Amino acid sequence: MAVATRDQPKVDARPEPRPRRPRVAPAQTRGRRLILGLVGMLILVAILEIVSRLGIVNEKFLPPFSSVVVAMVGLFGDPVFLVDVWSTIASWFFGITLSICIAVPLGVALGLSNVGYRASRSLIELIRPMPPVALIPLVILVLGQGLEMKLVIAVYAAIWPILFNTIYGVHGTDPKAKEMGKSFGLTPFAVTRRIVVPSAGPMIATGVRISSSIVLIVIITVELIAGGTTGLGAFIGRMRGLGDQVELVYAGILVAGLLGLAVNLLLGWLERRYFSWSRTRGGA
Amino acid sequence: MTVSEDTTAIVARMRRASEKPWRRALVSFAYAVVPVVAFVLIWEWAATTWPSLFFPPPSRIWDAGVELFFSGPPETLFLTPAVTVDIAGTVSRALLGFALGSIVGIIAGTVIGRSIIIRDLTSPIVEFLRSIPATATLPLFIIILGGEDGMRLAFISYTVMWFVLINTAAGVSTIHGTVLDMCKTFRVPVLKVFFEVMLPAALPKIFAGLRIAITVALLAAIVSELMLASNGIGYRLVIAQTQFRMGDLWAWMVVLALVGFVFNTVMEAVERRVLAWDRLARVGG
Repeated sequence: MAVATRDQPKVDARPEPRPRRPRVAPAQTRGRRLILGLVGMLILVAILEIVSRLGIVNEKFLPPFSSVVVAMVGLFGDPVFLVDVWSTIASWFFGITLSICIAVPLGVALGLSNVGYRASRSLIELIRPMPPVALIPLVILVLGQGLEMKLVIAVYAAIWPILFNTIYGVHGTDPKAKEMGKSFGLTPFAVTRRIVVPSAGPMIATGVRISSSIVLIVIITVELIAGGTTGLGAFIGRMRGLGDQVELVYAGILVAGLLGLAVNLLLGWLERRYFSWSRTRGGA
Repeated sequence: MTVSEDTTAIVARMRRASEKPWRRALVSFAYAVVPVVAFVLIWEWAATTWPSLFFPPPSRIWDAGVELFFSGPPETLFLTPAVTVDIAGTVSRALLGFALGSIVGIIAGTVIGRSIIIRDLTSPIVEFLRSIPATATLPLFIIILGGEDGMRLAFISYTVMWFVLINTAAGVSTIHGTVLDMCKTFRVPVLKVFFEVMLPAALPKIFAGLRIAITVALLAAIVSELMLASNGIGYRLVIAQTQFRMGDLWAWMVVLALVGFVFNTVMEAVERRVLAWDRLARVGG
């Protein structure tokens, strides 16, 4: 199968995806996409509803979509559930903030010092492959089942993308810009703060965007497995334990999806808002 | 990420190439080994100076690991059931789930990436489903499929699938329309177009997804075992925790890091081999 490609990889396998533009006006395309997207969702919802109502799939496994939505709406009036959701959101916020505070300075230091980078690499390569969830049993013993436990595991999982992107961003700083800063009399610290960090900004932002989804996933996972804690994951786990509340399990998962979507949209928007200038350079 | 990695690696290699070869090898070796050895020694020293229940010295973890993994009977090459049942179970489930999820992801991704109508119809659904933190769906898999290995495989495949699907769709959608038009003109069979034109062209993107997917597969395997299992590394972690056997707990964590390391290394080696033709294009671009 490699024979066919060897002659034309340049044209066909562009690393950067360039969406194919259909020959329709942009506004029209957007409207079409919106309508088709809605139609797609309606079809799926209809299938889920019908399959369950007709008993093709047992209602115990797949309750009608409408009753899941009703259950979800009802949940937002339930103070216990709101505490759970709020706990997850707060943990996410602390988790991503802590990760940034640890990974960015560390990444800048390692990116500036070649010796430090090469020396830390083998250690990092050994520690990083361990799935963060493997820490759960140990951290529960050491820290108990509170917020600290969630944060330690989330931060362990989330620092890597930020750290690596910061290192690469710092490595990629234009050396001429640094020399210019030096010849204008900036101290090494000022060169770092005013030239190196801003120039690594887009890469760091990409790392933060990736990490923010990781933090959410890890926090919900920890809540689900550790038991006893509050949070959306714990809620889903409790509802499974009840046995007869499948709608609420589905509703909890839907809310988790909404949270995930909100995090993606928020971070994507922040990145576009503050770092859109880097798009033209084709960085990251 | 990979692009700058390659660039920095090349710059570093060029700089190192100007040094004497034996000196270069020695320096790389020292950079790789010294920090790890120093780390282990400092840990050993710190853990014996200030003994802590939770952080045993590496020597005790080593002893626990040898006892756990290599104290078996000679007929199994001294391997214990911990290796032949638990490690083998986790690794095989992770790999099988990875394979299944990747196949489904590649097929679905190709369909979505090639057909504008299907893409538009499914994009909000895909966008939402992949935003759900995959582990949140584990209780659902347990409700529907029970507590057996089938549930674990389905869960791992589901988790893995999204990463491969998204990347495949992105890769396939960049194929030049002319190439496919030409295939149509020459009446190339659909399967042949899929295997010999689309797949190779999308391969760099697909591998970017597969690299994430192999890590995620191991993570999903462990999560499913932590939650509900009767064997596997995740299950052993929970047992060691409840029995308060800290040496065992650490030994299992080290094993897990090693498994993850091997997965990543093998995946990178495969990628380097399969994508050898693309390396220059990627570094240049």
